[in-house]
Amino acid sequence: MLARIAQELFWLGRDLARAEHTARMLDGVFHADVAGAAGERDIALSWAELLAIIGEKAPAPGAVDGDGADLEALAGQPLAARLLGRAEVASLLTLDTDSQASIVSCVARARERGRGLRDVMSTEMWEALNTFHLGLAGRDLSAALVSGPYSVYHDVKERCALFWGLVERTMLRDEGRSFLEAGGRIEAADMVLRMLRVAVPPSPKRSGSEGEALALLHAVGGFQAYRRAVREAPTVGPVARFLLYDSSYPGSVASSVATLHSALSNADALPRSSPPVLRLGRLLADLELQRRAPDLAAGFDETLERVQEDLELVDSDIEDRYFAMAAAAAVHL
Amino acid sequence: MAEATQQGLLDDYQVPAGCRDELIDENGEPRPHAGPLIATLERLGPEALAAAGRRRDRIFMEQGITFEVAGTDGERRDRPFPLDLVPRVLPAKEWTTIKRGLAQRIRALNAFVDDVYHAHEIVRAGVVPWSLVVSRPAFARPVHGVRPPGGVYCHVSGCDLVRGGDGRWRVLEDNVRTPSGISYVLENRVAMTRLMPELFAGHRVRPVDHYPGLLLDALRAVAPAVDADPTVVVWTPGPANSAYFEHAFIARQMGVELVEASDLVVRDAVCYMRTTAGLERVHSIYRRLDDDFIDPLEFRPDSLLGVPGLVRAYRAGTVAIANAIGTGVADDKAIYHYVPEMIRFYLSEEPILDNVPTYLLEDEATRNHVLARIDELVVKPTSESGGKGVFIGPHASVSECEAQALRIKAEPERWIAQELVHLSTVPTETADGGLAPRHVDLRPFAVFGDEIRIVPGGLTRVALREGSMVVNSSQGGGSKDTWVLDDGGAVDLVPGTLPTHRPPPRLPDVRYGGWRGQAQQQQQQRRQQALPAISTPSFPAGKTR
Repeated sequence: MLARIAQELFWLGRDLARAEHTARMLDGVFHADVAGAAGERDIALSWAELLAIIGEKAPAPGAVDGDGADLEALAGQPLAARLLGRAEVASLLTLDTDSQASIVSCVARARERGRGLRDVMSTEMWEALNTFHLGLAGRDLSAALVSGPYSVYHDVKERCALFWGLVERTMLRDEGRSFLEAGGRIEAADMVLRMLRVAVPPSPKRSGSEGEALALLHAVGGFQAYRRAVREAPTVGPVARFLLYDSSYPGSVASSVATLHSALSNADALPRSSPPVLRLGRLLADLELQRRAPDLAAGFDETLERVQEDLELVDSDIEDRYFAMAAAAAVHL
Repeated sequence: MAEATQQGLLDDYQVPAGCRDELIDENGEPRPHAGPLIATLERLGPEALAAAGRRRDRIFMEQGITFEVAGTDGERRDRPFPLDLVPRVLPAKEWTTIKRGLAQRIRALNAFVDDVYHAHEIVRAGVVPWSLVVSRPAFARPVHGVRPPGGVYCHVSGCDLVRGGDGRWRVLEDNVRTPSGISYVLENRVAMTRLMPELFAGHRVRPVDHYPGLLLDALRAVAPAVDADPTVVVWTPGPANSAYFEHAFIARQMGVELVEASDLVVRDAVCYMRTTAGLERVHSIYRRLDDDFIDPLEFRPDSLLGVPGLVRAYRAGTVAIANAIGTGVADDKAIYHYVPEMIRFYLSEEPILDNVPTYLLEDEATRNHVLARIDELVVKPTSESGGKGVFIGPHASVSECEAQALRIKAEPERWIAQELVHLSTVPTETADGGLAPRHVDLRPFAVFGDEIRIVPGGLTRVALREGSMVVNSSQGGGSKDTWVLDDGGAVDLVPGTLPTHRPPPRLPDVRYGGWRGQAQQQQQQRRQQALPAISTPSFPAGKTR
């Protein structure tokens, strides 16, 4: 298939996965912010951390639309200055069209890409995408954020699920579908890794209070899956393990990497000599090996960093192997 | 503008005589701990409250948080569970008293159950008459001499508390069989954070969502010692039960199987569940049905809901049942009278929470005193629950009083009389979005495994009809979210509990890409080189390598 089309499908998948994860994290942080969390807090997952995860700059205190001050610059200031509120961060990451990290921007980008991909997508997929975008654009989001952000994030999650459901149901299982799926999965893995790296302490304790780790699960949407899959109380250690290694939970990093691996194997004409596929195979084996290690406390942060670096390399491998032709053309436009 | 709204909200607020309002003081001003809440309500105004009410009903219908009511035409239909949007707020200090008082009471009740089925010390000491104990319908002969692991009988309890005009908390009823309502506590909190997030501003509210974890820990702690992880199940009578929603909720939150009687089987005094992989041993059962129905071999032989042989397995110590069999003897209304004495007897402590003054009617002098004042008192049948057969003197006609007096004279041991408590009130939304005082009670939930743990707050039930003191949801009652504040009155707010602030690790930049992004960026660069004017791209250009 055309390199340009493949690249656009890949990024369409990424944009939607990012929108969904942003919505879930905002919802989780919002709930934890309002309802509080039990006991001692070993997890850092609040508004400022959310900005770091999404990679967005902090808005100046008080000014929602103003030019942002850098988070690192703020980090040196006393606590009060760093306490970014719900009002600033939630609106920046939800509805700010000037920020390319906001949910509306992600969806707008996905829909814009979709417009150019209508020949490879099913009509139902395009309509779901377009309705999603129009629904967000036509809604008074800032009012909805004040009275009940839950409904906004619920809507985003539902629309994303609808799109992926239609992919499953109506899109031909061809190369294009593989790139779409690969984009969605690499982004999902990246988002969960980012969240874990920011929120989890470098060496999580095995025991501890469970309140804050619930926030981690809510921010991915894996609370009930965790309860059924893991018998330990949801403290930081077991939850972090679950989100990184548990291949039976579709939102875990390991599960995303496995799906990414099989999607690229399907798309590639010569998977056995394909750098990204080979690299992913090694990463999967590594994850499996680490999962069996008895204790994750030692150097958990390094594990996370290594996995994320590997994924970055996979990303550039994908770019080189499949999209290089398109990139070359873009330069000459 | 603000003053006009304020007038609308609290001007007509009239607390009934003899009652205490928990959020508004005698002068019509908000009490200090409720200040921010009332201020927010005033700022939002009646329209916002009414709009949130409509959202609430829709969300509850969608999520299936409903209960069945019979309409006037006799047809049964689902109604959204009536959650009132104004929370009840308890300062930390008050909660500490309640918590300590409840833990003390539950320890005593637990000791009493153990005593009743073993040494009978309290009977020998002459505190509680043995004839009264054995005549309780919940007294369970089959478990005489059985001591469950850890000596814990009352794993889950929910005592009903009320607050009178003097501001004192009193225990109205104990419930150590299968108290229900915890699912509403958790769902109410989630609903409140979604519907009225503004109200939480200015308050630090203690979370409640760790309850399923506490319960699961307790159920594992009392399981018989085994090599592997103990298997815990929730046992429901089935979907036809009115509390089925709660059974499913608890099982889902704990991530354990929700079983019915047909899923369980006892072989050689060991309990198993039937799975796709054959029989799997069950170690701990959280049962949500009465003693009478759990084992047709030992209790009611006609019970289809029971598991034959379960009591045998229980006696053999191969399975833990929560709550233990026979706990109902401790929450009987005739036994209730003796609980303060139990606390002194077993714990050598003075009760922290009082009983509502109660009269047993077998003594002739007491009975005559009660009969003379029957129009002022509340009369309840012993061995009943759920508000069945309760007679409220001040609300009864002369002929009803006479009929009740005759019933008491005929069977004095079947009744108890209690002083009427003027239940405290809390501001509650009215149909037009205003606020009016409505009477409330409180049911905190305690879990007893290794130790007694109580979830902050509990279920506040509210009588939605003006002047009514009946809070049962089947009779026009609703519920409120119950907030226990972290307001500095508690000791556990120390610097270590503030969120950890670590400098974020070095993360790679989030990428934005795609063919169009690249192309647009190239074009834009070229355009910028040609023209100094800046045009905004239709979507942000991405970073490329």
